[in-house]
Order: sequence, then C-alpha cells, then structure tokens
Amino acid sequence: MSEEILKALTQLFGIITKQDGGATEKERNFVIGFFQQELDQDSIKEYLELYDKLVGWGEEPEEEEEDGKAKKKKLTSVRDSVRTLAICKKINKTLTQKQKVVVLIKLLEMVSADKNFTPQRMEIIDTVSNVFNIVKDEFKLIESFVIKQESDELDKFDDILIVNDETSQEDNLHVHADIKGEILFLNVRSVDMYFVKYTGHEEINLNGFIMKTDSVYLFSHGSTIKTPKGAALYYSELIRKFLSDGEQVNLSFNAEDIVLQFPNGELGLRNVNVFEGPGELVGIMGASGAGKTTLLNVLAGIQAPTEGSIKINGLDLHQDNEQLQGVIGYVSQDDLLIEELTVYQNLYYNAKLCFAKMTEEEIHKRVMDTLENLGLEARKDLRVGGVLDKTISGGQRKRLNIALELIREPAVMFVDEPTSGLSSRDSENVIDLLKELTLKGKLIFVVIHQPSSDIYKMFDKMIIMDTGGFQIFYGHPIEAVTYFKKTTNQVDADRGVCPTCGNVNPEQIFNIIEAKVVDEYGQLTNKRKINPSQWRDFYHESFDHKRVTDEEEAPPSTLSIPNKLKQTVIFTIRDTLSKLSNKQYLLINLLEAPFLALLLAFIIKYKSAPTGNEYLFRFNDNLPAFLLMSIIVALFMGLTVSAEEIIRDRKILKRESFLDLSWNSYLLSKITILFTLSAIQTLTYVIIGVLVLEIKDATLSMWAILFTTSCFANVLGLNVSSAFKSAVTVYILIPLLLIPQMILSGLLFSFDKLNDFISTKGKVPVVADLMTSRWAYEALAVDMFKNNSYQEYFYDIESVEKTADFKSSFLTKKIREKLRVIENNLESNDPKALEEIEYSTTIIYNALEKEPFKGSLEHTDLKELLNPETINQEKINRISTYVDQLRDHYINEFNLAVKKKETLQFHLENDSSYQFNLNDAKDKYFNESLSDLVRNLTVEDRVIEFKGQLIQQIDPVFNKPEVPDNPLNYRTHFFAPEKYFAGTYIDTFYFNIIVIWFMSLILYITLYFELFGKLIRVFGNIKFGKKES
Amino acid sequence: MEIINLEGTEDTPKILLDKGNGIFEISGRSLPEDSAEFYQPILDWISAYGEDPNPKTLFTFKLEYFNTASSKLILDVLSSLEDIDGVSIDWYFHEDDEDMEEAGEEFSELVEIPFEFKTY
Repeated sequence: MSEEILKALTQLFGIITKQDGGATEKERNFVIGFFQQELDQDSIKEYLELYDKLVGWGEEPEEEEEDGKAKKKKLTSVRDSVRTLAICKKINKTLTQKQKVVVLIKLLEMVSADKNFTPQRMEIIDTVSNVFNIVKDEFKLIESFVIKQESDELDKFDDILIVNDETSQEDNLHVHADIKGEILFLNVRSVDMYFVKYTGHEEINLNGFIMKTDSVYLFSHGSTIKTPKGAALYYSELIRKFLSDGEQVNLSFNAEDIVLQFPNGELGLRNVNVFEGPGELVGIMGASGAGKTTLLNVLAGIQAPTEGSIKINGLDLHQDNEQLQGVIGYVSQDDLLIEELTVYQNLYYNAKLCFAKMTEEEIHKRVMDTLENLGLEARKDLRVGGVLDKTISGGQRKRLNIALELIREPAVMFVDEPTSGLSSRDSENVIDLLKELTLKGKLIFVVIHQPSSDIYKMFDKMIIMDTGGFQIFYGHPIEAVTYFKKTTNQVDADRGVCPTCGNVNPEQIFNIIEAKVVDEYGQLTNKRKINPSQWRDFYHESFDHKRVTDEEEAPPSTLSIPNKLKQTVIFTIRDTLSKLSNKQYLLINLLEAPFLALLLAFIIKYKSAPTGNEYLFRFNDNLPAFLLMSIIVALFMGLTVSAEEIIRDRKILKRESFLDLSWNSYLLSKITILFTLSAIQTLTYVIIGVLVLEIKDATLSMWAILFTTSCFANVLGLNVSSAFKSAVTVYILIPLLLIPQMILSGLLFSFDKLNDFISTKGKVPVVADLMTSRWAYEALAVDMFKNNSYQEYFYDIESVEKTADFKSSFLTKKIREKLRVIENNLESNDPKALEEIEYSTTIIYNALEKEPFKGSLEHTDLKELLNPETINQEKINRISTYVDQLRDHYINEFNLAVKKKETLQFHLENDSSYQFNLNDAKDKYFNESLSDLVRNLTVEDRVIEFKGQLIQQIDPVFNKPEVPDNPLNYRTHFFAPEKYFAGTYIDTFYFNIIVIWFMSLILYITLYFELFGKLIRVFGNIKFGKKES
Repeated sequence: MEIINLEGTEDTPKILLDKGNGIFEISGRSLPEDSAEFYQPILDWISAYGEDPNPKTLFTFKLEYFNTASSKLILDVLSSLEDIDGVSIDWYFHEDDEDMEEAGEEFSELVEIPFEFKTY
C-alpha cells in the first residue's frame, strides 16, 4: 500500500470516527492494529499522530458552541463530507476494485469495533461505497457480514455460508460438528473474493494464523482453515460449495494400473492409478525424467498404455473414442498458434472447425466470451507473432493456447507445464484460470514444475512421480508435505504450511524424496536414502485410493465437426489469411517469378539477327536453354513454396488431432492455396518472358505446361514436407530433387548418349520418364515448334516431305548396305559370316515389315524371303528391285510435297486475306535453334542400328511413332509429335500434360497415406536396430 | 426547456434552473432522505441542457448545509457541468462559515470548472 493511500485511509478512519462523539479506545486500537499490519514501528507513530489530530484524540471533548448551533453539531460538517469525497476519488484512481472492497471492509470493521453505528458514520461509509462503485446490494451484504453477529440475520444471504456444528456431513465440508461458534464465509461475487470470520473463541487456524473472534479475513486462493481437532477446510472445497448451485457435471475418470513400456523395454510408468471426479485441479509433479509428461500423454490418450485401462464415464479411452470425441483437451508445452493470424482469428477459425452447427454470430460471441474470460479481449486484433517478433506476451500466448482448447469446453483437460518460461504473475494468472475452470466442473491435469507456494496451494490433488515412473504420492498437496515429513520422521511434521507466512515449499518434498546418503567423510554420495520403489511401497501402505463410480452417461461434449468440404473451405481461408498477413512471404513469392523471368530473358536477349543490329526471335540461339530454365524455375518455385507447409503446421496438426479433422480436407486446402499461388507465379513468369523475348503464339501453352509442372512440384514438396521433421532437411533435399530433373530433362544430355545401363536407343529412358522436366520440356519444345503462325501451315506437308526424304535417301541406303553385306558373305561358311547374314536379314526384315509401301513385294512372305538360311542371290535381287521402287516412290512423294509446299507458300503470300510474308513469319514465329533441336540436325548418323532395328535419328519431331504391340506402351523417341496410347494417337502437348498430372495424382496418394514418411521411419528403425545389436 | 423550480424545505434545497433567463441556482439546506432520488431530475435536466447550452452558464451554489450523501450528488452535478462549455460556478458561503468555504475549495479541486467564492 502506498504512502498516499495509507494517508488517505487514515483520514477516512479519522473522519468517520470523529462523527458522533469521537473515537473510542476500541476504535483507536483497531486503527493501531491496522497500522501494525501495514507499517513498521516508526511509521505507525507518524500515522497515529495524523489520526489522533484528525479525531482530536486526547483533547477535551469540545463544548457545544453557544450560538444555537447545538442541533447542527450532530451533523457531519460539510468540509468532512467533501474531503471524504476527495479521498475516495483519489483511492478510485489507484486501487483495484478488489482492494477497494478490502478498504470498505476495514472501515466497517472499525466502526463495529465499538458497535457505534450512528447514522452519520454509516452515511459516510455508504457514500464511500457509492463512490467506490460498489453495488448497493453487495454493500448491504458486506455490511451485514461485517457488523452482524447472529447467523440468523445472515441466513437470508445466498452469498454467505455458515459453517457450524450443525452443518451436516453431506455438505462435504470436513469441519462439521467439532467447533464452537461459527465460521462465516462471504463471497463478493463482483470481484470474486472470499472473506471469512469466526464468531467463536476456539483456536481456529487460518493459514497458520489464529483467527481473532469477529475479525474479517481475506480467504485467498489455497487457504486452509484448521480446527483445533485437526480437521481442515480447504479453499477449493469451500469454493465448490459456493458454486455448487451451478451446473452439475457427470464425470468420472478412472485410470487403473497404468503400465507403459517403451519400445526399448524400459518401463515408463509402473502401475499408476488416477481416480478423479469432476471439478478437480490435479497437479503432476516429479523430478525430471520421472515420467510426468509421459503420464500426461497416456492419460490424455496420445500414447496407449501397455497395460491397464483408462475409462472416462466407463468408456474406454482407446476403444470408445467415437463417443469420447471432443471430451479431451490437450494443451502442449509448445506454442500451437498460427503466428501470422491475430489472436481473434486463431480462436475464430479453431471455433469454426469445432462447431459446425453454430451460426456466424454465435461463433463470434463465443470467441469474444472466451477472450474476455482470459483477459485477452484488448489484444484480440494483435498478430500473435513468432518467437522473434513478439507482439503479445508469453503469458498471453499461453492463455491463448489454453483458450484454443477451452473454447470447445472439453470435460477433461491436460495441460503440460503451462507456467514454464512465464513470470510468476503470469504463471499465477494461468493457474488461476485453470482453477476457475475446475470450479465449473472441469477435470484438469497439469504437469507443473517448481510451482510457487501460491500456485502449489491452488491444486486440489497432487500426483508425485519418482524416477522410473513410480507413483509415490497422490492426494492433497499440503498433505504431501506432512506425509513426506512424517515418513522420514522429521520435526514439525504436522505443519505443511509455514506457520508465520502461510507458504508451502514444494521444494521441500523433493529434498526429502531425493535425500542422499552421506558417506563417512560427510560427503554426499549418489545413493538415495529411500529409492523410488521404497517410496512407492510406503505410499501403498499409507494410502488407499478407490475407483470413482463410473458415470453412466457419456461425458458432455460440444464438439460438432463440419463436413469435409466445409473443413477444406475453413482451412483454406485460415491459411490464406495467415499467408496474406505475412508480407515478406507474399512479396517474395509474388515478385520472385517476374523477377527471374526478367533477369533470365534480359540476359539471353541479344542482337541476334545475322546483320547483327537487331533482335530477331528466329535467330535467338538461347531459346531452348530458356525453355529448360523456365521449367526448372517452375519446379523450384513449386518446391520451395510448398516444402515447409506441413512442417510448419505440425504443431497445429497435433493439437487438432484431438478434433479428428479430415487429413484430406487439410491437404486439399493446402493444394488449393499452393496451386493458386503457382498459377499466379507461372503466369507472371510467362508473361514477362514472352514479352521480353517476343515469343508469339505460345503464351497459353507455355503457361499450361509451367503451371502443371509447378503444381507437380507443389505436391512433391508437400510429400517431402510431411515426411521430414525439420525445414532444414527439406531445403537440403531440394537440390537432390532438382538436379536429376535437370540432368534428365533431355536438353543438357542427349538421351541417346547416356550410360548404356539406362539408355535405350530411339526411346526415352525409363528413368527419364520419371522426370517431370522431360515431359514438360518435350511438350514445350514440340508445341512451340509445331503450333505457331508459321509452322502450322507447313507442318503436315513438311512431315510428309521429311519422312519421304529420310526414306528415299537414308533408309534405302542403309538397306542396300545390308544387302551388300549379305551378298559378300553368301559363299562363306565362316560362322562369323553366318552371323553377319543373320543380323543383316533381321535388320532388313524389321525395316521392310514396318514399311507401308509394298511395291513388288506385295503378297510376299517377308519372313520366308529373308530367312537367313535360305537367302540367295535371286532373293537379294528381288529385294534390290523393291528397294529401287521404294526409293523412287519416296522421291516422288518428296517432290510432290515440295511442290505442294511451294504452292501453299505462293498462295499464302499472294492471297490478300492472309497477309502472309514467309520471311516475316519465320522471323517472328520460327526459331532456328529450336528447330535444329527438335529436328536433331546436329546428329552424325541419321539412322543407326540398334538391336536389329534401324532407328531414325533425324527429324524426330516429324516422325510419328508406330503403333506398338502393347496398347499401353507409351514409350517412344524424344520429341515425337504425337504419342500412341491405348489405341489412339494423342498430341504430345496434351499427352505430356496428362502424364504430369497423373504423376501429381500419384504423389497426392502417397501424401495422403504419408508413404514417404512411413518409409523413412522404416529405414530409421532398421538403422537404429543395428546400432543396438 | 422547461424550468425547474423547487421550493426549499428544512431538508431539501431550493432549486431554480431556468435556461431562458440564464438562472441556475441551488441554495439552502440539503439533507434529503434519499439524495440520489432527489437529485436525479436535476442531473437529467443538466444532461439535457448540455445538449444545447447557453454560451455562458453561471451556476450558483448558496448552501447552508449539506450532508455526506448530498455531497456525492453535488459532486455529480458539478461533474456533469464539467462537460459543458462556458460553465462557471459562484460558490456563496456565509462569512462565518469556514467549513462551507473549505468545502467549496475542495470541490473546486475535484472538478475542472472555474469557481468564484463569494460571501453573503
């Protein structure tokens, strides 16, 4: 109490007692007593002087003034009235409502010290309470409680509880029948305070102090009253008595003989019993490693016990989890908040996920109520913030964490070390809050570490665990101190609480439990005096806990989860909001793509025209590389944006696992957001790239491919994110995922020149088929080559032209070459020669068999004709004639195609409706470098032999793949214009996009079942096993 | 606005509140049985007056005696006047009545309105 306030109070005392005849000895003594409580010896004198001066103590009572004012003398002087007002106003500015109630009680007590309740005095006190904003009814209540002595007069008040020898046993209060006089309790509801006074003359002990008769004491949290016969009345019991008219909760929690064995065989919990009903605040204490958190997790159902059962209202926690849905709340030690969202939003979206049936308004109200209850309403629009940029305090964070569970009002709550890292004030607030909840009928288990005395006393029950999972105490917290003291025969064992200050020292318990044996030199050894199992035995000898009767009904639960679609929507909105509020994240992700596009396009744009003085798209040699880079950028952006997603949400997912929300909905929400982001990113990238490099006719298709690729990368990133535990691992992993994509994209290294182990000539290697980059690149290159305002006119004709050209010049040449080999070896009997013949006939057979033009070989059995055993000169000649025909046929076709092309060109250029200029069109739409690439012009051998086949190397983009034997065999050469699959030709562009989406789908399935994570765990376990053996 | 004109009695003060003529006065003795009830119409009147006050309001207190409960209500009256622009208080006290003078001074410290002290 500040000096100022004390002075003010002294003045109030003075003004009141001076009315109607002045202060009496008793009143003065009361004031002295008050000073003694608040002040040191020296100051008492000073204040007492002030008081004495005010009331005129020691002076002769003034004679009535002569001039007829005798009547008025009885009235309070106006100056005192106004001064009282001034003092009260001053007090209003500094004291809390609770303190003001205490002041009011002091004033009333002082007056009742002498029972001199004159109207003037009471009027002043009444005015004081008025200025203090204390409600009339409550003032009457307080007034009666302080000044009335007969319980009959107090009986009518609901907020006064009378305990005397008539109090019945059923009332659950231990102090029935063994006291003289009465203990009166007062509940001042507006400030949530309790006061107590005792009217008898026995030695009733309040927190170790003897209560003076008729004195009013504050009955604070954790207080205990002891009667001379030793029975105790605990704060919590009393409070429940006051609140008992409230809702009745039917709850039984029985955990019997819980044993937990760790995978390595060690026991984590040994035969732990916990039997509780509603409305208890149960603390779990123990040395580190004693299994506190383990016990909490097992009780909460996160970990299944190896033996024993946990039953809530007779329902097994692990078998009947459907009925128990929403009954359990768990507040972990970590912060489980979405840092980017505000306090309100965190709670609001959580509520949305819990209460499907509530209207928007009801949810809002509920959220606001919860925030108000936890004293967070002023902070509701603040961002929660991370560890580094804190916007709300640690205590507020903790309270918000609790609020997230609280809002759905679970019947049983588990809270893991709610006070760690908090200031003592914040800690007390948090425990206060939990305590209040238990008063409403919740059962709350709290793992608590080094609690302060005040906090320790707030618990109703305490479970003390010892190293190795032994339960060594379970009962009232204060009793714990006396029990351990008694067991070790300590002096003063009956006193759990410090007799002078009322404090409990929980440390004391652990000092006793872990007391070490001293060796002969007086040094502490590592050996404990009493080991955990001995403690457990002592405990079993001294206590016997009974199961709580199982309640019949299922415990109350307000949870009703929205359907999966709604969940997806809520998840999506919540996640979007959190992303939008993260400015850095948003800025980087949105600017990354256009920036990269600009950088890349700018660097590779040069004066490419043959004259060297302007940029022409046609001669930009960098286009193929740009396309590859675009795909890599799409992959990279897709991966980075998604790789952290699930890891970051892990904690929140853990919390929400108690709600049984849909994993699929969660993933779909992630995917919706990521795909949208990818669409924006790739679109901006494509637009900038296309504009700078003057790429025409390809914007949409390029975007489609890059978007598809990026989406694939998103799903891949989510897979990685769900499989690994830390973001760092994931980021290290990104190159591992990206570099193969670059290697096997088809541009950097030709598929025909890869290690023989993986390569198949004329076909894309299977490993490369696993690469998105290869599909995307092929689609992009082929589409860009085929479908532009130049090539679209000529593609079909050129396709015929190039095929005819290839067949007339290269294929026929190769066949002739082989015929000559056969001819040369015909006479020889050398096995090598025979081999040569066999090989050559196979090649010719395979080539002719595929050839649609049959000519003179129509109706000839090719197999028979090219049988290496029977081949002879005559047959060779026949084939030779055919090859001539074949050549002429294709030369003819070639010429026709050329002519056709020229006509078309002429037509296009001269028909005014087309406005077509060949060179202009080529400059604008056609890229030489890309054309060289997809036509494979740089290849040395235009046709090669591979496994008895002649394989066309040149012009892959004009080479339509043949119909394979197996309709599901999609494999063909790189840059094929179309793909044959399941009985039909599909344009490469669409086919490849479908392939990539299919791969994404597969990855979504693995993501849904978390296959990668499981796989990694399997590997992890194998290694672990080896280490041990 | 309607005029409040209460005749004083042994226990209640004389009150005249007249916006038109600019007269605002409380005088006499104030120790009503229920002061809150007695002063409520006055407080209501002032708050209505506060909606559309005269440019200058000279409020006169000329009290002989008031009890503690009334003092709270007088403070309420003063507080409600505090929000009105152009209010000043004339606080009259009997030459011999030091108590009333000091009470006026105490009041003047509790509210931010200019007080003028006059004797009668």
